[in-house]
Amino acid sequence: MSLQYLREAVEAGDAEKLIRYVRLHLGDGDEAAGRAEIDKAWIEALKLLLDVPETDRPFILQTIADRDAATLAHLYFHLHFYFVKRSGEWIHDGQL
Amino acid sequence: MTDSSESAAAQLRPGLWRTVNERYPGSMIHKGDFVPLARLRQPLSESRLSFVSTAGVQPAGTPPFDTAHPVGDYTFRRVPSASRPDELEIHQLKYPTHGARRDLNVIFPVERLQELAAEGVVGALTPNFFSFIGYNMDAERLERTLAEEIADAVAADGADVALMSPA
Repeated sequence: MSLQYLREAVEAGDAEKLIRYVRLHLGDGDEAAGRAEIDKAWIEALKLLLDVPETDRPFILQTIADRDAATLAHLYFHLHFYFVKRSGEWIHDGQL
Repeated sequence: MTDSSESAAAQLRPGLWRTVNERYPGSMIHKGDFVPLARLRQPLSESRLSFVSTAGVQPAGTPPFDTAHPVGDYTFRRVPSASRPDELEIHQLKYPTHGARRDLNVIFPVERLQELAAEGVVGALTPNFFSFIGYNMDAERLERTLAEEIADAVAADGADVALMSPA
């Protein structure tokens, strides 16, 4: 999908087109795989918090407070791949 | 079939790209203008050759291409043409890299081009080759900034001819 296609979807509020694109991106062109990848990343993140370990919450809050939304959005995509990689199940042809 | 060839075959995913237009509507770039290829002004054996690739190859240890970004990475890397394959690495999610990890030359033929220069088939190589990733959703930015920047860099390296290869 071209950027213009995505911008038109944003203007039209076409959430289906947008989430489809995200799934295609995360699933390397396979929408179902992308959906599973999103689930996989969230499951991996959830597993890490089940025992309520000590985490650096001040860092989290400071980062969210200090950084611009675009940087946080970019971080969000990086975190997706981080947790997917951490899961040990890597579907992508290449590497980060 | 060996384990490695099975992995390579699995990466090919037959049929996937037949549906690229359905899965990625609006992704095809249609060009209304036409820029003819330039004719060589001298024999290849007297020309300095550069190489431009979308393989996502870069010197090992340099900041990786942004493969996580949903709209793509619009930067390029200079890859010294005298590099050995073990001095280079690939950061690219969108094409099968199994074969390239075994022999980088299948996607980024740095040693083959060095050999052609040593044999005199081409006159010389530019000091650098050039690499970027092909996952770029903003075709206009790709054409107006990245492509122009690479063209300038290739010209600044003294290229008489450039070999261009999609990954």
